Amino acid sequence: MKLSTLAAIALTLGVSTWANADWSQTQNEAKGQTVYFNAWGGSEATNAYIAWAAKEAKTRYGIDVRHVKITDTAEVVKRVQTEMAAGRTSDGSVDLMWVNGENFRNLKNGGLLFGPWAQNLPNWGLVDLNKPVRTDFSVPTEGYESPWGTAQLTFIADSAKTPKPPRSAADLLAFSKANPGRVSYPKPTDFHGTTFVKQMLLELTPNRAVLQQPVTPAAFATATQPLWAYLDQLHPSLWRNGKTFPASAAEMHRMLGDGELKMSITFNPNEAANLIASKQLPASAYSFGFTGGTIGNVHFVAIPVNAHAKAGAQVFANFLLSAEAQTRKADITVWGDGTVLDITKLPTASQAQIRKTAPGALAEVVPTLPEPHASWVEALEAEWLKRYGSR
Amino acid sequence: MLNIKNLTISNAEKSLFSDLSLAIDRGAVVALTGVSGSGKSTLLNWMIGDLDPIFSATGELWLRSVRCDTLPIEARHIGLLFQDDLLFPHLSVGQNLAFALPAKIRDAKARRHRVEQTLSSIGLAGFHDRDPATLSGGQRARVSLMRTLLAEPRALLLDEPFSKLDAVLRTQFRAFVFEQIERQNIPTLLVTHDPADVPQGGRVIEISDWQHSHV
Amino acid sequence: MAQALRLALERALPQAPSKRPGLPWQWLAALPVMLIFGPLLPGLYWALSPALDATVWQALWLDAQWPQALRSTLISSVLGTLLACGMAALLATLHYPGRLWGSLQRRLPLLLSVPHAAFAVGLFFLIAPSGWLARTIAHFVQWTGPPDWVTVQDPYGLSLALALAIKESWFLLWVLAAVLGEQAVSRQMVMGRSLGYSRTQTWRLILWPQLLPRLRWPVIAVFAYGLSVVDMAIILGPGTPPTLAALIWHWLTDPDPALQARGSAASMILLIVLLTCVLAVRGLLWLMKRHQPYPAGQRKPTASRRWLKLHTPLFLVGYAVVAVLLLWSVAQEWFFPALLPDALSLESWHQADWAPFWTTLWLAMAASLLCLPAVLVWLEWGPKRLNALLYLPLIVPALPLVAGQYATLLHLQLDGTAVALVWSHLLWVLPYMVLTLIGPYRAFDLRLMTSARALGYSPWRACLHVKWPILLRPILATLAVGFAVSVAQYLPTLFAAGGRFVTVTTEAVALSAGGNRRVLAVQALLQIALPMAAFGLAAAAAYWLGRHRKGLR
Repeated sequence: MKLSTLAAIALTLGVSTWANADWSQTQNEAKGQTVYFNAWGGSEATNAYIAWAAKEAKTRYGIDVRHVKITDTAEVVKRVQTEMAAGRTSDGSVDLMWVNGENFRNLKNGGLLFGPWAQNLPNWGLVDLNKPVRTDFSVPTEGYESPWGTAQLTFIADSAKTPKPPRSAADLLAFSKANPGRVSYPKPTDFHGTTFVKQMLLELTPNRAVLQQPVTPAAFATATQPLWAYLDQLHPSLWRNGKTFPASAAEMHRMLGDGELKMSITFNPNEAANLIASKQLPASAYSFGFTGGTIGNVHFVAIPVNAHAKAGAQVFANFLLSAEAQTRKADITVWGDGTVLDITKLPTASQAQIRKTAPGALAEVVPTLPEPHASWVEALEAEWLKRYGSR
Repeated sequence: MLNIKNLTISNAEKSLFSDLSLAIDRGAVVALTGVSGSGKSTLLNWMIGDLDPIFSATGELWLRSVRCDTLPIEARHIGLLFQDDLLFPHLSVGQNLAFALPAKIRDAKARRHRVEQTLSSIGLAGFHDRDPATLSGGQRARVSLMRTLLAEPRALLLDEPFSKLDAVLRTQFRAFVFEQIERQNIPTLLVTHDPADVPQGGRVIEISDWQHSHV
Repeated sequence: MAQALRLALERALPQAPSKRPGLPWQWLAALPVMLIFGPLLPGLYWALSPALDATVWQALWLDAQWPQALRSTLISSVLGTLLACGMAALLATLHYPGRLWGSLQRRLPLLLSVPHAAFAVGLFFLIAPSGWLARTIAHFVQWTGPPDWVTVQDPYGLSLALALAIKESWFLLWVLAAVLGEQAVSRQMVMGRSLGYSRTQTWRLILWPQLLPRLRWPVIAVFAYGLSVVDMAIILGPGTPPTLAALIWHWLTDPDPALQARGSAASMILLIVLLTCVLAVRGLLWLMKRHQPYPAGQRKPTASRRWLKLHTPLFLVGYAVVAVLLLWSVAQEWFFPALLPDALSLESWHQADWAPFWTTLWLAMAASLLCLPAVLVWLEWGPKRLNALLYLPLIVPALPLVAGQYATLLHLQLDGTAVALVWSHLLWVLPYMVLTLIGPYRAFDLRLMTSARALGYSPWRACLHVKWPILLRPILATLAVGFAVSVAQYLPTLFAAGGRFVTVTTEAVALSAGGNRRVLAVQALLQIALPMAAFGLAAAAAYWLGRHRKGLR
């Protein structure tokens, strides 16, 4: 018994030493590499944070991180697919990408991701495993992507004009009819728009459990029938009569600031605080959610199989997962994106930093609803485009 | 009768000429000579109504007892002939001439008949539908003059019209021009370098007569 | 003495100087141009051949978006081109020749240097429901919220047509100014009027029939641009569905190869539309010419319409666009319906991302400096009859060409590199530079060259020491034009750079979909500043280098 325990301890130590040696080798390999980090660039707070992280990576690990700003992750998926199809299997243009949901599923199913690597990162031990960090829209990650932050669908309004906001889908319909032309949502395939549609689906569908399974035509028809009925009722009172939709959530923020819309939408519960600080929304703006809960998810970073700087990408991902980086990311005055780490494992000062609030941020606790299975996303988007994509 | 009264043209720095007065009778040809750059063309521009805005002019222009210097170009009834024939390249020879015919000849057939008569009279019978670019220099010059005259101008200005023709053509065309002017009986001002261009009994005036001698 | 001179000349020139260099020299001179155009050809094949499949066309036919996309594209480009031609023609008819025409001409270069994307952004700030125009009206009418106008991103593409009309009218005015500057034209005006016809009549009967054939290619270029424009369409055009050009761009960049093929097929539709419209107009003009009545000699006195101050709003829009961009770049809070920002600060400028600016700068300098020797060598020794081929990128919609370039770069594994980016820009910089330089080049007095040759200089040295220094001012202007064209390129940067390089143009378009107008205004202003600086520098350099030589200025 004692021997086996000793052996177990020795084996664990040996393994961890070996793992440490592995990691030092990765770190050495990473020095001097250039990592092209393809990430959504639609928010200045996000871009500023990534710029800070890149600078830190340069000073600490000698990695040159370049933020490639993209509007739609599907573009990056296409780039990787095209490169692989053209035979470019080792010198790809994307080293690390910000991804989740159906994009992750497409990449994983196409064998386009490098890995598994995420659970080998030294900072994996800090991750809060109670959060859905090992499945992405019901698709198991299996270590092919590393968690980065949490998100929750949140709405923003102006208290000077909308003191009592809608708190459910039914409320929203009534609110839109009372304020014709002042409500809208981004056009799907934009992920905010798609998530809005998913949110409505979750509230209106008869059986939520079906949504966690891969989609089938029969299940799709039954589950989405109330959704399309609802949208058909909602659209006539929307902005521009629902004939055209804002291209992005950022555009909706601007329209909210000018009073053209009464509500805006975001994935970041602290986005409103950022916008008030940068003078893009008046000081009377506030965030709110639905009483029944809104969709929340975890977003990740992944490495394509043909990435050039795999070692550098892993080192950077590890840094993004570190206590310092996650704390700063969750700091409401910087970005305010939720952390994937277990807060109780962090030092007290970090906990205080994470718990800071600012005017405009989501002040109430809104229950989190799980995302449907990734396969539902494309089906929903295709059907929405068919019904409402043109006049 | 074409009458210039007390014309002074000057630009910002100096005056080109001052107090120029000139009277030309019907059927008379007056030749205006002077060194290059002395302002002969500017005088013609003023008379036709196209003075360059950098110049300012005071004086009057009278044609058949009607004051012209306040009228736009199209109202003055003064014909103009440049060194270049300036036939409109997008119209045929006949159409060029028909363009100048007054509107009082209404019927298209009558207009065409008149044009063809004119062409015959200058020795270009059958040239109605020809492209002006296919004509020789002398032929173009003749067509150009007839075009100006067909518009029934009340006076005629000629800006070195013979200078681009060779010696033989020059003599022929010159005689032709004076013959037409005599037939139409209109006052004519001819700007030229060449003393041989002056017709029999024609007056010659020097532009320097009205210019201050300086420099 | 004459004998001695003749002998000396004969010794200096080994043989009679040939007018045209030999064939191999022509091909050598054409080499740089072939490097720019050549790799495009296989790329076009790779990009467009997927569209030759019948199923692709079937899928395109069944797609619900293309009818309205085509409709908005046709409306915006046809209406934009017609309006631009109409406005330019009206201004020319009213004001040429005259003092106002000269002053209009002088103000044009300033407005021309505003790139299309920046102009679209500024126009958006002006006419959007929460834009400056609406705020001015709200001031008087006491609105509480922005009006329910559909002034931008309207489904028929009318705001896009307006933007195209204004911007392209400046371009057509500039082309007209060049053509009308010739002496023969002004003399024809005098001749026509001396025959008794009014200005308007002389324009209609004499000048327009001659000028229209010469304006043919610029108008086709304007139309082709309108068909294929993506950056302006993203900013001002409809969203659901977008214009055909924007739709093609979405398809070509989609992960699904079926959609990519659909994009290629739709690019061919753009080409077909261009050909059809051009042929239709030519047919119409031919019919009109055939049925032209015999000159009737009717002289109509003109009702002077100079009071029609069309030029004022046309130019005012340009100034207003720049002004509103400037205001937004220094604004703090500026919500509807405030006419002026609540507070001003230079914060946006301090925090601005200057990386796109520097990228654009080196890219444009590289593109124009690389093109210049190619242009000079082509104009001097290249095959003269093939000039028309060089202008193809200007009159063909840009999308198929960009797709071809991208396919070539992918095959060579060069996409995303700086070399690829510079190369992709050359395809458009070269034709514009040739276009700018060819006039002064052809008008160059060849006797100067003959004199130089007679003095013993070889053709190459004669060019280097005589011809090109004399042509300094046009050459500097050409460099500035090439620089400006490169700054304004959107699609080539997007495709060839693979997201690695960001220019002020791509940044401005990307930001236009966002919420922060300040940042957008800063990038749009940088986009305007670059060409303006280039033109100013070229003019100043020409003046300074020719300060002792009046003939050069």
